[in-house]
Amino acid sequence: MSEHAVVGKRLPRVDALEKVTGAAKYGADINFPGMLHARIFRSTEVHAKIVGIDTSEAEKLPGVHAIITQDDIPTGRAVFAKDKVLYYGEALGAVAATDPDIAEEAADLVKVEYEPLTVVQDVMESIKPDSPNLLNDKTKDGPRRRVITRQLKKLSKVTDEDNSAEIDRLNTELEGLDDEIYYNVAGETHESAGDAEKGFAESDIVVEGTYTIPRVHQVYMEPHVSVAHAEPSGKLTVWASTQGHFAIRSGIAGVLGIPLSDINVVGVTMGGGFGGRFNIQATHVPAVILSQKTGRPVKAQLTREEEFLDGRPGAGCIIKLKTGAMNDGTLVARKALAFWDCGSVAGGPIANTIRIRGVYKFPHLQMDAYAVHTNKSGTTSYRAPGAPQAIFAGESQLDEIADIIGMDPVDLRMKNMREEGDQVPAGAIEPIVGYKETLQAAADAVDWWNRKKEPNQGWGVAVGDWTNGCGPGAVYVSVHEDGSIRLFHGSMDITGTDTAMAQIAAEVLTVPYDQVSITRGDTNSAPYNTGSGGSVVTFTMGNTAKLAAEDARQRLLELASQRLNTDIANVELKDGKVSLTNGDAPKSLSLGELAAYSLSTTGGPIVGKGSLSGKLSAPAVAVQIAKVEVNPETGTTKVLKTVASQDVGFAINPIAVEGQIEGGVVQGYAWSMMEEMQYDEKGNVNPGFVDYRVPTSADIPRIESVIVEVPAPNGPYGAKGVGEPSLTPTLATFANAVTDATGVRINDLPIKPEKIVNALKSNGNGSR
Amino acid sequence: MRNFEYFEPKTFAEASALLTRYGGEAELLGGGTDLIIGMKDRTLTPGYVISLEHVPGIEGITYDDCDGLWVGAMTKMRAIERSSIVRERYTALAEGAEEVGSIQIRNLATLGGNIAHGSPAADTAAALLVLDAQVKIAGGEVERSVPIADFYLGPGQTVLRTGEILTGFSMPARSANSGSQYLKHKIRQVMDLAFVGVATSVSLSNGTVTDTKIGLAAVAPKPIRATDAEAIITGSSLSGEVLRQAAGAAAGQSSPISDLRCTAEHRREIVAALTKETATTAVARAQV
Repeated sequence: MSEHAVVGKRLPRVDALEKVTGAAKYGADINFPGMLHARIFRSTEVHAKIVGIDTSEAEKLPGVHAIITQDDIPTGRAVFAKDKVLYYGEALGAVAATDPDIAEEAADLVKVEYEPLTVVQDVMESIKPDSPNLLNDKTKDGPRRRVITRQLKKLSKVTDEDNSAEIDRLNTELEGLDDEIYYNVAGETHESAGDAEKGFAESDIVVEGTYTIPRVHQVYMEPHVSVAHAEPSGKLTVWASTQGHFAIRSGIAGVLGIPLSDINVVGVTMGGGFGGRFNIQATHVPAVILSQKTGRPVKAQLTREEEFLDGRPGAGCIIKLKTGAMNDGTLVARKALAFWDCGSVAGGPIANTIRIRGVYKFPHLQMDAYAVHTNKSGTTSYRAPGAPQAIFAGESQLDEIADIIGMDPVDLRMKNMREEGDQVPAGAIEPIVGYKETLQAAADAVDWWNRKKEPNQGWGVAVGDWTNGCGPGAVYVSVHEDGSIRLFHGSMDITGTDTAMAQIAAEVLTVPYDQVSITRGDTNSAPYNTGSGGSVVTFTMGNTAKLAAEDARQRLLELASQRLNTDIANVELKDGKVSLTNGDAPKSLSLGELAAYSLSTTGGPIVGKGSLSGKLSAPAVAVQIAKVEVNPETGTTKVLKTVASQDVGFAINPIAVEGQIEGGVVQGYAWSMMEEMQYDEKGNVNPGFVDYRVPTSADIPRIESVIVEVPAPNGPYGAKGVGEPSLTPTLATFANAVTDATGVRINDLPIKPEKIVNALKSNGNGSR
Repeated sequence: MRNFEYFEPKTFAEASALLTRYGGEAELLGGGTDLIIGMKDRTLTPGYVISLEHVPGIEGITYDDCDGLWVGAMTKMRAIERSSIVRERYTALAEGAEEVGSIQIRNLATLGGNIAHGSPAADTAAALLVLDAQVKIAGGEVERSVPIADFYLGPGQTVLRTGEILTGFSMPARSANSGSQYLKHKIRQVMDLAFVGVATSVSLSNGTVTDTKIGLAAVAPKPIRATDAEAIITGSSLSGEVLRQAAGAAAGQSSPISDLRCTAEHRREIVAALTKETATTAVARAQV
């Protein structure tokens, strides 16, 4: 297994020391003399017309330097609400003052007059015709209306035959489908393969269910923060806590209407992101405009409460799912209709509703998904956006089928899993994948087929899938006179990605890991880089680091062949030096010697460059098995065991990979059992950690990670993106375990104790 | 946070004088785990903060078989949960203290603060109720003692008058044939607020329960005793039927609300479940 010297090894992170000593500089650690502090003032209504905003009292408060509203946004692009507010806590403007307490007092002194409007927070209410029209969207057709309308359109074009009877029939059906006219729909997506209705008709059993998944916050440890400094020349510097500083640069340039070259964004150490840290209007734009107004550096930092009220959490949804299967376990058809609660901002991960197909061979599949506006804050990405929700529905229903036909849940999944060459329903042909290996690995780790349980205990298994993205990125590698190597790039380190790049460069250049250092540049200095989300970083930047190191290696070989007066074919790089591969006298040159020599050559210093924009990635799979114990009297659940296997392609750093797997399991466990953003007619009612529960280490005992490696053809050393897959099966895993323990199935997450107690009551206390 | 003036009195008299001088504008600082959060939220905006940290004689745990247990108001939760005498004879109190926040919080939070705050969900309140605690209060030259059951008036409201300081708690000595338990219903294993808290204390004599006290937290405007359930258990040998009846009686005496955490109905069910469980454990502990 030791074909590699540095990659694949359990090495400490390049940033370990600065993190554990507290030396790492996060956004909140950036301070300047004369710096002002910003505070956003926010809507106290859930849905209302803004009649007027009066900042006069706030302006009078000593220490207040500037107050801005939407009128101060030069391009008029939406940063603050202007004409109406769509949720409690929506930003209306910002104050800059000499200290945070004064800014907070001033924000409270801003008077806003509202004309309240009818509130709608439930997606199923929002789609009805009598709900308030939130953002003037056109109505959309439901799935059946859509089909009929298309058929009618087709028939209207046929002139050589008489279809009037069919047209009449369809029109009549259409008239009866009034409840399929959806209001407040921000977006829709539809996919199909085969004929789902035909599939259900052919199935031995058909199972239907409605699955409700709450909106949850990414709860990164560090709230949004930025420090902006506008110089008199018009140049801007922004110290931003973000997953992608190039995206922040273009975002700010767009809102301000200024050239990219006027903005330098410094990406500071990031306190977690999970997809939620690409936002520009939360703190970056307010800080910039307040700095422009005052000429002083301005820090804008959200509180945790503001994160909940006006962050961009992961979307909740309602999924109506139907699955047909044969008595022998063969899956035949699946159909989903999903409504995603995207709040005030269009979006929501509707396209990933397709994840209901899982990793299985459904001949018939249909998926219709709608993003629906409600009076809540907008949503954005949260680690594998949409997949945990869709997979929760899909994998819950598989267990129901297994139960009905009396088949083992793992056997049912194994029987239907796709392999290389299979047709992906509503997709392409499956490339090489490790679905079955990964399921087998998890099952073996718990000795699944010999599993035991006491009363009130249960086992759950679920399978989730995800494919990483790939985006533009570039790396320079320099070789220095002492033989040390430096990488320079513009990628935000997320969960150890800098470490992976350093390991790869060390591997290619055959030097010890600790001889490699890595520096992230700001947007003024570093080459363009895609944001650190979508599990792209190690796949993309690992490849660019490899290309750059290989480029440097080529130059080292050329220099050595010059110096040793031989053909390049006669030298090789090994153990940190370039040696002759022929001739009698062993001759070699160290990297340091070659770097020093390069300085006096016409070619100049050694710089390797790696740059790429896209490579085809390979599907990854995560399988998790949990054992839980439920107290039937109180409904509380205790986790007894968790095993998580994942096909990671190749683990560049197994410690980092295990960290990713464990983190996903913990987040998924929380989503299934405790986390939810709760709303009443006054807005979000649990904007803090007292009533928005995230788990502690006491809730989840040791998670056993099992690394499976089915190499990705284009990944660096075969690596796949590992960040997101680990969250995809977890909701279903714990839901299935609770069902196995109690005999009741809760399709409405989170599975709080009260829901279990109530379900057991209506089930006549059916604990197993 | 608003600006405030801060004092660190070195004697009880000094603290009391300051408190009398500033009255309702002053807040006492114990561990600060409630006060500072309130000040940061600006739900509490005291003009004066008086720290009790350097006031002598109001911190510590003492016990003797005659006077029983005394716990100073400034005693940290962590010290209470680690005290061997509390763990052994006043187990429910140790378990209540242990349920508060995290270890870091418990190294700051004080028993006096947990009670003086007036929360009906305080983790130590149900335990103090079943351990017959007397609350010691001093103001100026006057000292008084109030049974814990009478200390609470409603949510956030207590009998403490302006200028008075809660100095400590005394609990009668407990024999080896007594036992107690506190259980908290929560979603997260640690660092969660009580959905429901139940403490039960019993004494045993020849296999019969001779004395039962059941305290309920977070299910009424203040911590309460489930006296109907106590009467059912006392004099019994704690059969399944007795437990079932007592559980129902305790649930019946509670008057919980529905809120974002759960419904009133669920809270009543949990009162019943935890009454059964704590009574069973308390009896088992009394037998050891």
